Amino acid sequence: MKSSRILTMAWENMTQRKLRTSLTTLGVVIGITAIIGLASLGEGFRLEIRHIMQTGFELDNLTIIPGSLFAGMSRDRFTDAQIQEISEAPGVKVVTGIMQFGNVTLYNGNKTVKAFVATAVNFTEFAQIFPDRFVFANHPPPEYKNDTVVIGHRVNYPIGNELEPFAVANDTIILTLGILLQSPIPHYEMQNHTFTVGGTLLKTGTPGITNFDYWIFIPIETARKIYATQESDLIFAKVNSPEESEKIAEDIEALFPFKITILVPLTLIRQVDNILNIVQMFLMAIASISLLVSGIGIMNIMTVSVMERTREIGILKAIGATSRTVLTMFLSEAILIGLMGGLMGVFTGYGSSYALAYVLSRFIQPQQQDTIFQTPETQRMAINPAFSPEWTIVALIFAIIVCIIFGLYPARKAAKLDPLEALRYE
Amino acid sequence: MCALLQVKNVEKTYKMGKVLVPALRGVTFDVEEGEFLAILGPSGSGKSTLLHIIGGLDRPSEGEVLIDDINLYRLSDNKLAEIRLHKVGFVFQFFNLLPRLTALKNVELPSALADDSEKKSVEKAKRMLKLVGLEERINHRPSELSGGEQQRVAIARALINSPKIALADEPTGNLDAKTGWEVVQLMKKLNKEKRQTFVIITHDPSIAETADRIIHLKDGLIEGIKKAPRRNTQ
Repeated sequence: MKSSRILTMAWENMTQRKLRTSLTTLGVVIGITAIIGLASLGEGFRLEIRHIMQTGFELDNLTIIPGSLFAGMSRDRFTDAQIQEISEAPGVKVVTGIMQFGNVTLYNGNKTVKAFVATAVNFTEFAQIFPDRFVFANHPPPEYKNDTVVIGHRVNYPIGNELEPFAVANDTIILTLGILLQSPIPHYEMQNHTFTVGGTLLKTGTPGITNFDYWIFIPIETARKIYATQESDLIFAKVNSPEESEKIAEDIEALFPFKITILVPLTLIRQVDNILNIVQMFLMAIASISLLVSGIGIMNIMTVSVMERTREIGILKAIGATSRTVLTMFLSEAILIGLMGGLMGVFTGYGSSYALAYVLSRFIQPQQQDTIFQTPETQRMAINPAFSPEWTIVALIFAIIVCIIFGLYPARKAAKLDPLEALRYE
Repeated sequence: MCALLQVKNVEKTYKMGKVLVPALRGVTFDVEEGEFLAILGPSGSGKSTLLHIIGGLDRPSEGEVLIDDINLYRLSDNKLAEIRLHKVGFVFQFFNLLPRLTALKNVELPSALADDSEKKSVEKAKRMLKLVGLEERINHRPSELSGGEQQRVAIARALINSPKIALADEPTGNLDAKTGWEVVQLMKKLNKEKRQTFVIITHDPSIAETADRIIHLKDGLIEGIKKAPRRNTQ
């Protein structure tokens, strides 16, 4: 029998049992909806996180730390010669060493603010490495002098005081820095130094590892005088392209075996991506269970259907239908259910993921607190479901395969019926 | 030349629990092409079993059945299905039409099973329904047809693939006398005009006597074969 006619017959059979067919199909629809919905939401979630991380970590920037990240408080430091060596590594565009101090308080007349960290930088190099974030609000970069201090947005406008800035350009302010002195025994000493405000940075915010909003910047030459050192705490290096960053990091590491740690944003993102991948796979596995359940539903319905239609199968076989024809007839019904349920499930899956994303975004939006953990970027986070043609095809094939697997047993049962016994069946 | 149908020493034993029940105990006969043969016997004589074995629906315990020199029971189940499709047409006592399908679709089925195109099978089915006098009722479902009409549809279905041999199992058993007679007359007509070979089973001697030849079956054995007296069937 021609397969097109078998399909037509299967379709006619199904339309004559509308309620049963639609209930069976509904099972597949729900299964595929769950799979597609989770895939599309998960993919959208992943893309959003990847986007946030890409804006947070400049992908072409390497952060080079002396020693190990977890080796304790006392660290090695970088000499200018080492910085020079790194800058000569292939693929490296700009290298700058910085120093960092905690415990920073700023005084302007009777106004006081605290900064998360004071960073001593070479302003010109630093601006080259962070062109998107080391940007001045409302005015061009100042002329850098030995006593220039650049203030992060949140330092100048602390939470609860958004209107009146702590200082404006050319104000003279006093900085209190905690300084670790080594003699006679290692101890912290607070020192006051006078600086002139060069400007305030644009509010950038970032969920990455460095948030300039809470930083202030002073010239590294001045800091070296204060601390009586020629060394740097850590190094930022800008490389030719994000794609090469891992390779370049390896090369730099090879220059100082076991002496430095390099944070490669690409690697971090890749790892987060891998984790999200695993989470997504896990969710998909759970969603697949619902499809398996609907598969069992199909088997159940079809087994009953075979029993009901035993006589019909007997007649078909008596007038010359082969076992294969009968098998194909029943399998066609299963395949049609899989195809219909799969197609509908793809539509409802994408539909529900867009609806769910809308609702979720609504939940995320109202939080307006601006803390170091919730910068404007995290608040703006919105999940846009992703449409993936691959997933659509995979889900459809999966639906059909599940239907074939679970339809096979009842179809074989029908095909194996003895025509005479089937004819006598009441 | 060999006969169209050769039944050679066919035996069939059923197992009822631990008891072996012989239904056929060595039956041998031939059917020539164009013949109208009746198998007459009381119920339990094994005539239905014999018909199923002739038509490739049931395998004999012993013996051989040849249609067109093809030894049926040396074939696989699938090959046997093809024999039923192309060489044999069945007419049953209870019509055995598919209740969901219209008369036309029922008649079309064997043609569709034989891989005919839809156009061709519809054409053939319409011709067959016209032949049995039902061209006006092709779109009726079996439940909308009388018993006689249903049996005519069944005859049309049995003959659509131009089988070598048509087998009818008590074709009048579920019909009143008048309708039954009409159905038999239809089969006689097809036998005469199309030279369609028929083997019909009946327990009704008056129907058997319309046949060219009557085989009397009793307790699984042929009691006698006789040529029916020529009678005016008009």
